[in-house]
Amino acid sequence: MSIREKARQLFAEGVDGVLAFKRTDGVCIPHLFTKTEVEEICKDVPADQRYPVAGIVRRIFLSGLAGKIGVVARGCDERALIELGKQGQIDFDLLSIIGVACSEEQARYCECSKPYPSRIDVGSRFEGISVSEKVRAVESMEGDERLAYWLAQFASCLKCMGCRNICPVCYCVECSLEDENLVRRGSVPPDWPVFHLLRAVDMASRCIDCGLCEESCPSGIPLRTLYKKATEIVKELFDYEPGADMTQRSPLGTIGDQSELPGGAFEA
Amino acid sequence: MNGKIYETQTEGGKSERVYSSKPVGSVMVIGGGIAGVQASLDLADLGYRVYLVDSAPSIGGVMGQLDKTFPTNDCSMCILSPKLVEAGSNDNIEIITLAEIMDITGEPGNLEVILKRNPRFVDIDKCTGCGICTEHCRVKVKDPYNAGLARVPLIRVPFPQAVPGAAFIDPTKCLQILKGKCGECQKYCPAGAIDFSDKERTDKIEVGSVIIACGFSPFDPHKTEEYGYGTYENVITSLEFERILAANGPTGGHILRRSDSQSAQKIAFIQCVGSRDSRIGNTYCSSVCCMYATKQAIIAREHDRRIQSTIFYIDFRAHGKGFEEYRSRAENEHGVRYVRCLVSAVKEMQPSKRLLLVFINEENQFVEEEFDLVVLSVGITSGIDALATRLGIRVNSHGFIQVPKPASLETSRPGVYVCGAAEGPKDIPESVIQASAAAGSASSLLCPSRGELTVKREYPPERDVRGDEPRIGAIICRCGTNIGGVVDVPAVVEYARTLPGVVFAEERLYACSQDAQVWIKEIIEKHKLNRLVVASCTPRTHQPLFRETVRLAGLNKYLFEMANIREHCSWVHMDEPGLATEKAKQLVLIAVKKASLLEPLEEGVSPVTPVALVIGGGPAGMSAALRLADAGFKTHLVEQEEELGGNMRHVRMTLEGDNAREILEEMIRSVMNHPLVEVHLTSKVASIEGYVGSYTSVIEKCANSAGRSNPDIESASLGDDVSEDGTVRVDHGIVVVAVGAEEYRPKYGEYMYGLDQRVITQTELERRIFDEPESLEGVKNVVMVQCVGSRNEEHPYCSRICCGVTLKNACELKKFLPGANVTICYRDVRAYGFNEEKYLDARERGVRFVRFTQEDQPSVSAAIGRLEVVVKDRNMRDEAITIFPDLLVLSCGIVARGGSRELASMLKVPLTSDGFFLEAHVKLRPIEFATDGIFLAGMAHYPKTIRESIASAQAAAAKAEAVLSKDKIVTEGIVARIDPEICSGCGQCIDLCSYGALEFDPSMRVARVNPSLCKGCGACSAACPSGANQLLGFRPCQIYAQIEASCALLEAGGQ
Amino acid sequence: MMSEARGSSVKIPDDVRIVAFLCNWCSYAGADLAGVSRMQYPPNVVGIRVMCTATVSPYHVLKALQMGADGVLIAGCHIGDCHYLKGNYMTYKRYLILREILRFAGINEKRVRLEWISAAEGEKFAEVIRSFTEEVREAGLSPLRKNEVIKSEFGEKLKNAFRSLEVVK
Repeated sequence: MSIREKARQLFAEGVDGVLAFKRTDGVCIPHLFTKTEVEEICKDVPADQRYPVAGIVRRIFLSGLAGKIGVVARGCDERALIELGKQGQIDFDLLSIIGVACSEEQARYCECSKPYPSRIDVGSRFEGISVSEKVRAVESMEGDERLAYWLAQFASCLKCMGCRNICPVCYCVECSLEDENLVRRGSVPPDWPVFHLLRAVDMASRCIDCGLCEESCPSGIPLRTLYKKATEIVKELFDYEPGADMTQRSPLGTIGDQSELPGGAFEA
Repeated sequence: MNGKIYETQTEGGKSERVYSSKPVGSVMVIGGGIAGVQASLDLADLGYRVYLVDSAPSIGGVMGQLDKTFPTNDCSMCILSPKLVEAGSNDNIEIITLAEIMDITGEPGNLEVILKRNPRFVDIDKCTGCGICTEHCRVKVKDPYNAGLARVPLIRVPFPQAVPGAAFIDPTKCLQILKGKCGECQKYCPAGAIDFSDKERTDKIEVGSVIIACGFSPFDPHKTEEYGYGTYENVITSLEFERILAANGPTGGHILRRSDSQSAQKIAFIQCVGSRDSRIGNTYCSSVCCMYATKQAIIAREHDRRIQSTIFYIDFRAHGKGFEEYRSRAENEHGVRYVRCLVSAVKEMQPSKRLLLVFINEENQFVEEEFDLVVLSVGITSGIDALATRLGIRVNSHGFIQVPKPASLETSRPGVYVCGAAEGPKDIPESVIQASAAAGSASSLLCPSRGELTVKREYPPERDVRGDEPRIGAIICRCGTNIGGVVDVPAVVEYARTLPGVVFAEERLYACSQDAQVWIKEIIEKHKLNRLVVASCTPRTHQPLFRETVRLAGLNKYLFEMANIREHCSWVHMDEPGLATEKAKQLVLIAVKKASLLEPLEEGVSPVTPVALVIGGGPAGMSAALRLADAGFKTHLVEQEEELGGNMRHVRMTLEGDNAREILEEMIRSVMNHPLVEVHLTSKVASIEGYVGSYTSVIEKCANSAGRSNPDIESASLGDDVSEDGTVRVDHGIVVVAVGAEEYRPKYGEYMYGLDQRVITQTELERRIFDEPESLEGVKNVVMVQCVGSRNEEHPYCSRICCGVTLKNACELKKFLPGANVTICYRDVRAYGFNEEKYLDARERGVRFVRFTQEDQPSVSAAIGRLEVVVKDRNMRDEAITIFPDLLVLSCGIVARGGSRELASMLKVPLTSDGFFLEAHVKLRPIEFATDGIFLAGMAHYPKTIRESIASAQAAAAKAEAVLSKDKIVTEGIVARIDPEICSGCGQCIDLCSYGALEFDPSMRVARVNPSLCKGCGACSAACPSGANQLLGFRPCQIYAQIEASCALLEAGGQ
Repeated sequence: MMSEARGSSVKIPDDVRIVAFLCNWCSYAGADLAGVSRMQYPPNVVGIRVMCTATVSPYHVLKALQMGADGVLIAGCHIGDCHYLKGNYMTYKRYLILREILRFAGINEKRVRLEWISAAEGEKFAEVIRSFTEEVREAGLSPLRKNEVIKSEFGEKLKNAFRSLEVVK
């Protein structure tokens, strides 16, 4: 089924709009289509173009456009939508996902562990990459070497905030990265480790591994590797994956019982 | 109500010696252990002045000597110390130490207590607890705090966390006091606090009521010669072992033998030393020893993995909440070995000084086994005979104070109440429950005078300093030589003067002295200071004092910051004065940086609806309702059944032998006739909203009663919103959960229950004994089976009361059918406390006891018209016994009510895995929930006897009364606050609150903090990625400033 | 002692610096007990009192590392003893995550330590400070201290890292 066909079907079922892609000047850009515009919807999603779809959905909700919306979403987009739903930023129940499975090429590029949404309408399912070579490569370094690696990487940070701005699960009204008590103003590259690890800490329980941060970074800092590791840590400790489903609660958002604390809490 | 005791007298003339018609609004609490401290705190909270009297130099009692507490292994001092500090700093509690009560005269409401005050020889107001005197004292004595295991100088602070934290002199061996030849301590005391001329004196104090909370004396094991205590060095008491386990004890927590200071690895605990022992006359069970021995064995193992403990016991009595699970963890996870037997002798081996225990094991074999250390689990004995005699208060045959009335803690002396172990052996939570209940009893006697003798301080208006540049004053304390002897105080003062924002810095010899407070007030005014920093000792004890001074100087009390340059600096870096001075500077810098960012905090105020809602109309619910109504508060009592009474309707005789029906009928009559109690029968609470002080609930008729008319609803008072279907909406300030529990119903066919009419429950038997004795005529053989629906996989806990009920019914049966054979099949006879005497009585009456195990339960069958019970007797090496009973009585356990879960989620309070309500703290807050304003009474908490249920209800009512008696609730200034402009409504903070203080506001799409419920822990604030949620007083920017100061090189400070 | 203290203007030498977050109810009290008992421990630690260790977010720890702290100690009530019931659960969870992230970022995770110290464990407090100070000394001055990066042999590794980065880009 093509996206357009699926959109038609959703309109027939009563959605008020469909967030899909529109071809303008040779590129596909996201667009919220109404029923009358359905024929303008791109039939499929170009593999090399990705957008913070969830972020756009969040803005749609923020603007007060209430109603049911169909959304063209890849695996990571759906995870982001679920995460935003869990964090009260959008109403996930109002969404109908038009699921797009990523190509093997895309999945390998992303080292994505789940390059498909819960239901696939377009594309065919590729199982995904369970082990990130990039993370393993950093892990294999010696302690000091690792520090040197990151210091060198972050030395080129321009503090453009592109990573944060594009992040589908970053939506704070005020951002701690701009808290001058925490991160000095007017210093580029920004303070290490506070600037970058602060983000890594926050990503640990919410990053859905879309990789847009890294793609948008003008200095090519391997942010995705850092955040991938952060979420791996949470997965390992608490068996929790951001965006996996609506019912799973973040271990950092619930106090839980003693039995849920990872082993050896007595010895700290 | 107690109004009948007094006639209202309108004339205001009041002179001493003349009994005024109104009661005196003060209470004397005798005994400063956990029960006395709890009673005092509750009374002060209820609006009475309290005299807390202890014969020791500090309050704290035995709990202060314990290392850990069962079944949570809580650090005893950690949970007790805040209570001691609270009692010590409460304006309305006067602590009188080293004092004895000589006499009490007068009538309830107007008592005069004669008090003998022994000299302390140290002025509490002057002593700073610096400990210099102790260093100069040449005579040492056994340290009572360490159960005599260490030696300490005569002059000393009793223990580090003592309240009052002042020194005292043990005069028994003091050379100066006895011979006038020493006085060294006085020469060295920098505060001039020592006064050898201090004399014994007698005081008279007028109070409205007295609460006796003198606790117990541990049994003296010299009396049981077979264990060799006092002869063999490595035979010690459990209290001594407790000190050995304690990190602050004589061995620093290392488990060493007394004979050679080698670590002990094989430890034997001998139970029932001084308990259940008719030879010495102690025919009761001490109730706590099985559990504390288990705790000690677990803790010992935690200290040293090599330790192997064996507990020699008779019946293992794990009859409290979480106890059974605790024991099985001890056995399965901590390798504690339990051996059921009586140890017949202990012999000391030479030269090893190891101990040979001789006993007969369960297989009836004669065994000898060697141990490194033997701990005698000594029982609880009354320590108050002399006092009771002096006061003419009736005691029972064991010297514990008797409470004549079943639903009261009043002693034989009207107006004098008792709580804690003085009334009988009990554990900490039971003592705490009784303490609150006794406080409530005193309050219902004295409530016409509530608030009349308590002090409220008057303060000047607060100066508004918001927006002003910081003008910080820094006081650096020398604390005599405590700080000044190590830290270069003038250098620190010089340094402080260089810091930005500091406009005044000086040193003081004692910043905490009374004259220093006057001086601080003056300098705040003179130099127009708007922040104060004091660098001295720990804020944990001294911050309240300085905050008070700051407030009296017209500043918000939160504009104060402390630097701890004593405990955290001079005392721990004594050999490095240079570095200590630098560190002191750093600590001052940190405090100054924080101070410049401090802001005035408001203590919130929220109103209180002086109405109570009690859910559950059994004895607990009714007792709570009566107490609250007697205290003058409108009370709604909601009961789902058609009548009041709960499970007690099925009880004919209480375990103490009282007529249960009469008690119940009297209670129901009081409730129904009380003008302030509104009873809602066949009703349930459909919804509850709000928080402490301001709840709104909807009470609706139970579905099964639809169409039934209800006169109670029609009588609902004005203001209650009654709708047509009988649904009532009520506003109230507190909730008491007293929904009870229910008897386990045997499954169809379990022990042939339901299949054969001769198989009945204890409840049914009790009814027949008392109501239809004729139906039992001709009964020759009766078998009772314990633990039906208890201590099994489905219900792993012990139901606590069944053994007592069984013994009661067995004795009653034997009374009118002496010829009948009664056999009780049991697993452990859990006749704790004075129930043990019923156990003795039953045996004397010829009741037979057969012990079975969970794995090998009695089997029941019916053939040729008769019942057949086959049980293997563990006591007889599993010999199978066959009985053909005329009656098989099942002792059914107690299970949580099915509806508890729904109510719990409505109230947002937790349940245990067994379905009982989970209290705020197992030891010290047994009748409260973590959420303020919701209290817990009766069997909803855990199975309880009627007396225990009533006590817990009265305790819950006292806590509730304290809330309702206030016209407003003042909340701490240190609370989380969420800026709605910044909050993005992600909700990640909401579930981090253990107190239900956070909620989501759907209209604004933000999280909100209810300051009335917030306790200020900051767990939620730290989860906020954007800084919208901040803990006031510990805002991120304030802590960041402290961090920066911690890492700053001192030159950066401007030196 | 006094004369020694007077006039000598000793600077805290080039030794490790440790920031300790202490919860008011247990660990701060444990530190007080260490003081009352005159247990001696190195003066490298300065304590910051918080009501509960749950107040301490990973931001605070990162801030301390940023400011050049060589070690960060978080000390709270034992699990089950928390004055706020379960505050230390959150501390524990956050700490576990942060520790692993630090490790991955190449910051010696031993520089950040979580300990449960009760009000009765004065000796444990002193011992923790002693052993932690030793451990941090072994780890050396923090490479995150200003100037420290260039000074030490670590600077060489850093140069290599930059060089390899140039090649990739």
